[in-house]
Amino acid sequence: MSSTKPVSSEDILGQKYDRCLADFVVKAGVGFSAGVVASVIFFRRRTWPIALSTGFGAGAAYADCDRSFNPARVPGTRIIPAPVSEAK
Amino acid sequence: MLCASTTRQVASSAGRNVFKVTRRRLATEAPAAPKKPRIVRRIFFATTALTGSFYVGSAFLAFNNPEYYDFFTQNVPLGQTVLEYGEENNWDTVTVHSVIDYTVRTTTSLKDFVMEKVNGAPTAVKEAKEAAEKAAHDAKDVAMKTIESSKERAKDVAAQVKTEVQKEEDKLTGKAAAIAKHQREQLLDGVGDLVRKAEEALASNPVSSPNPPNNPPGVPSEIDASILTPKAETKDVYEAPLPVGFEPPPGFSRPPPAKKETPPPKYAELPLVAPAVSALASSEPVISHLAGTIDNLASFLKTNPEAASRVTDVLDLAKEDLSSLAQRIESVKEEERRGLEQKLDEQTREYTIKLLEIEMESQDRLDNQEEEFRKLFDLRQSQLVQSYRQKLEEELKTQTELINERLKNEVIAQGIELQRRWIREVKMRVEEERGGRLAKIDELSAHLKRIERVALDNSAYLDENIRVHALWSAIRALSSSALSSPVRKPFREELRVARHIAAAREDPVVVTALESLEASEVPDVGVEPFADLASWYTTSVAPKVSNVALVPDRDAGLLSHLASHLLSSFRFKRHGFVEGNDVLSVLSRAEYYLNEKDLDSAARELNQLNGTAKVMLHDWLEAARRRLEVEQALEVVHTQATLASLLVI
Repeated sequence: MSSTKPVSSEDILGQKYDRCLADFVVKAGVGFSAGVVASVIFFRRRTWPIALSTGFGAGAAYADCDRSFNPARVPGTRIIPAPVSEAK
Repeated sequence: MLCASTTRQVASSAGRNVFKVTRRRLATEAPAAPKKPRIVRRIFFATTALTGSFYVGSAFLAFNNPEYYDFFTQNVPLGQTVLEYGEENNWDTVTVHSVIDYTVRTTTSLKDFVMEKVNGAPTAVKEAKEAAEKAAHDAKDVAMKTIESSKERAKDVAAQVKTEVQKEEDKLTGKAAAIAKHQREQLLDGVGDLVRKAEEALASNPVSSPNPPNNPPGVPSEIDASILTPKAETKDVYEAPLPVGFEPPPGFSRPPPAKKETPPPKYAELPLVAPAVSALASSEPVISHLAGTIDNLASFLKTNPEAASRVTDVLDLAKEDLSSLAQRIESVKEEERRGLEQKLDEQTREYTIKLLEIEMESQDRLDNQEEEFRKLFDLRQSQLVQSYRQKLEEELKTQTELINERLKNEVIAQGIELQRRWIREVKMRVEEERGGRLAKIDELSAHLKRIERVALDNSAYLDENIRVHALWSAIRALSSSALSSPVRKPFREELRVARHIAAAREDPVVVTALESLEASEVPDVGVEPFADLASWYTTSVAPKVSNVALVPDRDAGLLSHLASHLLSSFRFKRHGFVEGNDVLSVLSRAEYYLNEKDLDSAARELNQLNGTAKVMLHDWLEAARRRLEVEQALEVVHTQATLASLLVI
């Protein structure tokens, strides 16, 4: 639906929110599942690998979401206010 | 120089030679002595003549030739002085003729001079002669004049008398005798007058003639004779025998007393009378006697002038002689008168008879001549009449021919003239008619033009009206479809129509406005209606923008967005025209403007926002701007159409 019809400008933010949520759910689910498998196989059913991997997935999702809201923010770079307007 | 020196040498040598010669002659009596002086003299004369001719000739040549003048003055001694002398005597103006004249004159004068010297004094004699001749000539002239005048008078009187006599005899033959007597008397009176005049002339003549008394006695006597003879002739015209005896007495009787009184002072002025009167002595012995006595007296007086007292007896003798002479003259006069009267009577009779005869003859002759003349006259008249008649006829013929020809020519000329005049008149009429027609046509054409103009104006008005109307309808359709329609729909067709109409009206403003509108994609998309825009803003745009009102303009991450989303829901909603630069107040102001149906101001307010809010407002602003553009263009077109409609009517 969104690919076919251009979204009106006031709905862009809501769309971002939707995508971020979906991405978070997927990445956190992938991390949780990967942690479960790793704890079952490698760590004799311990809980911390599950939480860690879920956290990785959630962190990655957050980073992606943050980048979608502010595409100018690149890790390792810092934009100084004066030339920012120029870069934009 | 050379010439002068040679001449001098020659002169000196000549002088020396002469001296030598004389000395030699004195010293030695040489036989060749006489030859030398001749040679010397010849040389001397030749040189002097040569030098003289040279100087004179060169002077003349110098006056004629300026080059030679210079040469002569500069190179020849005494040349300057010779030329000066020549200039003083006007040699330079001398010509050949003048020279010849002068020489001739000088030769004549020389001749005269020589002759005078030779002959002594013949000039004095000549002068005296000339004077005497002159005096004699003058006296002659005077005498001749008086004689001529007297002659003429006598002739006049004689002619008058003759004519009168003839007339009288012609007219009055019967009374001829009496009239003749009367005329004789008149004639006699005339003769007496003549005699008196002659006497006066004679009296004046002796006074003038005695003036040259020293002259030879022949001259005055000749004059006297010449004076006397013509008078005799004049009297001969009237009475032949009279003159000889009649004249002398007054001529001679009057001068003697004057002579008698004059003798004492002038002794030498008494001419001898006897020789002068000798011609008359044969006829009049008394006169010769008297002349003799007078001469005696005169001679006596000449011999002894102081014996005037003793002259008295001689004078008495003379007196007696004179008285006898007077008596004789009287008797002679009487005799002569009688004879004359008789002769006159006879002559009158003869003349009257002759006159009568002549009259008769002349009358006959006149009658004959008259008849001949009459015949001749008749003949000539008839001839003349015939010739003149012929001439007249010929003249008449020629004249009639001429007149006929002239008449023909005149008729032809008049015909031509009339035709010309007629043609001219016709032309005039036609021109007038044409002028009138043309004037009417002009008027009509002017009217027609006016009507045409009116019609054209009307049509133009109508066209303009129609165009304006079409424009108006097109604009209305456009605005209705573009702006005031309830739904968004494309209006390109309406825009095209409106643009075409505007292009037909050649309205640049409308055309540019519509062209700018047509160039964009707005007519294809259409324009959102104001109500839609307003509802869109209030329902979706304004709350979503108010959710991101707290998001910073830069480096707005997910957290800031989430925070603003959360916190904005706790903020108070502002409404109406609120002051402030923050997003929420701007939004409220835009809402207020939208409620006021001021899309322009709302769009301006919202356009001030930055950052995320601007991004979120983008679509709505775009739609609003599109609508505003269309609105503006249509407003321009609308005003232009209003202006056009106002201009039309």
